[in-house]
Amino acid sequence: MSLAIAGVGWVTPLGGGVDSVWDQLLRGHEASATTMSEQFGDRSYSAFRVPESVMASVAHPRLRRASVISRFAAAAGLDALRAGGLEPGSHNGERTALIFAISNGGVVYTKRFYSNIVESGAQSASPLLFPETVFNAPASHLAAILGITGATYTLVGDGAVGLAAIKMAEDLMANETLDYCLVVGTEEIDWLLCDAYRRWRLLRSSPPIEPFNEQQRGMILSEGAGAILLAREGPFTIECAHPGGCFSKRTEAGDILKQILSDLSETQIDVVISGANGTFVDQAESEAIGQIVPDALVYTGKPALGESVGAAAVWQVILAAQALRSAELPPVLHAHSAVTMRLSHSRTSMPGARRAIVLSCGVNQQAAGLRLAIQ
Amino acid sequence: MAQPGSATGKKDAARVAVVAEGVISPLGFGLTETLDSLRKSRDCVSPVKRFSVAQCRCKTAGQVSDDRLLAGRGEAPRSRRLHRASHMMIQALKEVLAQEPRFEPELTVIGTTSGGMSYGEYYYRSLRQAGDLRRAPTWIANYPAQKPVIDAQVAFGISAPCQVIANACASGTNAIGHAFECVRSGRYQRVLAGGYDAISELVFTGFDSLQASTPEKCRPFDRQRTGMVLGEGAAVLALENLASAQQRGAPVLAEIIGYGISTDNFHITQPDPTGIGAQKAMQQALQSAHVSAAAVDYINAHGTATLFNDAAEGKAISALFNGVPVSSTKGMMGHSLGAAGAIEAIICLLALQHQFLPPNINFGALDDHLDLNIVANKAPPAVLRTALSNSFGFGGTNASILMRTFEA
Repeated sequence: MSLAIAGVGWVTPLGGGVDSVWDQLLRGHEASATTMSEQFGDRSYSAFRVPESVMASVAHPRLRRASVISRFAAAAGLDALRAGGLEPGSHNGERTALIFAISNGGVVYTKRFYSNIVESGAQSASPLLFPETVFNAPASHLAAILGITGATYTLVGDGAVGLAAIKMAEDLMANETLDYCLVVGTEEIDWLLCDAYRRWRLLRSSPPIEPFNEQQRGMILSEGAGAILLAREGPFTIECAHPGGCFSKRTEAGDILKQILSDLSETQIDVVISGANGTFVDQAESEAIGQIVPDALVYTGKPALGESVGAAAVWQVILAAQALRSAELPPVLHAHSAVTMRLSHSRTSMPGARRAIVLSCGVNQQAAGLRLAIQ
Repeated sequence: MAQPGSATGKKDAARVAVVAEGVISPLGFGLTETLDSLRKSRDCVSPVKRFSVAQCRCKTAGQVSDDRLLAGRGEAPRSRRLHRASHMMIQALKEVLAQEPRFEPELTVIGTTSGGMSYGEYYYRSLRQAGDLRRAPTWIANYPAQKPVIDAQVAFGISAPCQVIANACASGTNAIGHAFECVRSGRYQRVLAGGYDAISELVFTGFDSLQASTPEKCRPFDRQRTGMVLGEGAAVLALENLASAQQRGAPVLAEIIGYGISTDNFHITQPDPTGIGAQKAMQQALQSAHVSAAAVDYINAHGTATLFNDAAEGKAISALFNGVPVSSTKGMMGHSLGAAGAIEAIICLLALQHQFLPPNINFGALDDHLDLNIVANKAPPAVLRTALSNSFGFGGTNASILMRTFEA
């Protein structure tokens, strides 16, 4: 079965518009960090946030009370749909499936809702906020906006959940009654999330993310959304969506990544879009890449865009598509020159590059991969 | 109309066997206790003690006993750190693997709505109230929704990829339905599917704030119904390509034969009052199974006992079916959200295996606006071949699955 990318869209801390953000990445730009603080917290954190100006044009009655995570998803989803030549309402809503990839979900409204309970008791709980705390609220809003009436799924997982969503899309598209599947990864940021990841020893207090560093200093969280319109034909073919698997301990992550890479590299691989983010993930990925595809160029966009967890792997797929389309890679920022992999330390041309692997290892025991080819 | 259940549209689509099942819910630990509670029409809803409900309208829920759940967890530090949702998933998977120790899944698809929510609550309360945060790393690491699924897999040496579906209250049925499609299409031979959810203060208060939960008994489809009560639990089914199961001599408990999914886009918390979303899901399940409505012998309804759900679902059922026995088992055990569809699938399978109708308890008189044949208060014997299970959720998500007794 042929599965192709017909259109992509994203909302990132570097702005919206696939080409615009890609151009900034090629020029070595990185997002500006915002300091987040909280009345009851004694620490501040840095995070990469989506500029408010990017969201100014996103309006729909369904989004009036929705959390920002739903607005990110709507903006990216609409862009992907239009890039694929579709308009909301112009497609058959029963022949289009929608799959969301989410990790932390609507944390802003969840915190606000629960905060009311903690501060003032259950009687102050807001019936308007509660529905927005549910994981599938963003999917529900986008389905309504796009008029999708068939299959809608929300998948929850760690940073690899975006690839799990694409794998699920591949399974759904085996059904010939579907024409399209829109996969959307989305995440919003809050001080509470930063504090949680810091206590989990995965976060550093301020940028940069230093990928593949021997000392794993941690990641910086970010927010936004990525969307991919999957169809049977398009400029990029998903040759294999590898389901990966679950590892029981961090030290076992490398084994599963090696297996994924081994399964995906039966043909010439030009570039690996890594999920390296300054945590234990980097060592696992670097060992696997070094052993299985040592000749491939390697790029990670996380030093520039941050770790957007639920959106991260979808962004990686978009980065892979852009790299193949433009036949070049942006510089990997803040990487030490001593790294032994073929890291694109500077803007790097890849003439004739045809295939990319997207590798994703989440921080909560999930890993997956994908091989993408340009037509 | 899209027909997910028709798989690739090929007539030679694989048949999908249920080769093992495991469940933990307020009805009991395991299949035997669950069956006993169903046959005795046991009301397993009890006062909530895990958190304060003093300011809530509703004070009760279907709950899994911690005394029993945590008694078997062992003393290992890792086990003691796990969320109780993980222990529920471990318990359900343990029962599956006790029946089918050779079952090696290629994929695990599990539904949930709130993961380890209570750990998130502990963390937030401790932050806000300057409490003891020494356990915060444990709470945070065990909070994610996929963690109980991975914990259960790790407990039994399984490393299959997990798809954790969070489609609100339809999650469990969506998980089984998607797993069914995966096997039916021939892309997978063996898939674990199910759902879990553990009760939490945030979710309990949320439904209370919507006035969806009731201070009274939960009375699905009753004229006097006033709302739902929450529940919790976990259920797992082992699905396998029938030919593969037979080849290796695995027992076939029943078959999943159809799946329907729809999104009605009416409102984020309310179903389309016409019942069109529910109707489409049921129709698709029938079409994908290539069976007529007349072939269905029993419907396990979503039946939350809210005014809106039961009215819409009742309309949808009576539009498609003529006098088929219908019950909602949520009056006995509460609404376990992401677990509900999976637990109710197992209730249907038990009904098919043991030839009885699961009861709709606390039932007095049917809503005047509905035309349904409710299985009122008792679990009568019945000849059953095909059962339908419905689950509908926030966001207008609707799912139905069809199950049938196995005939070679």
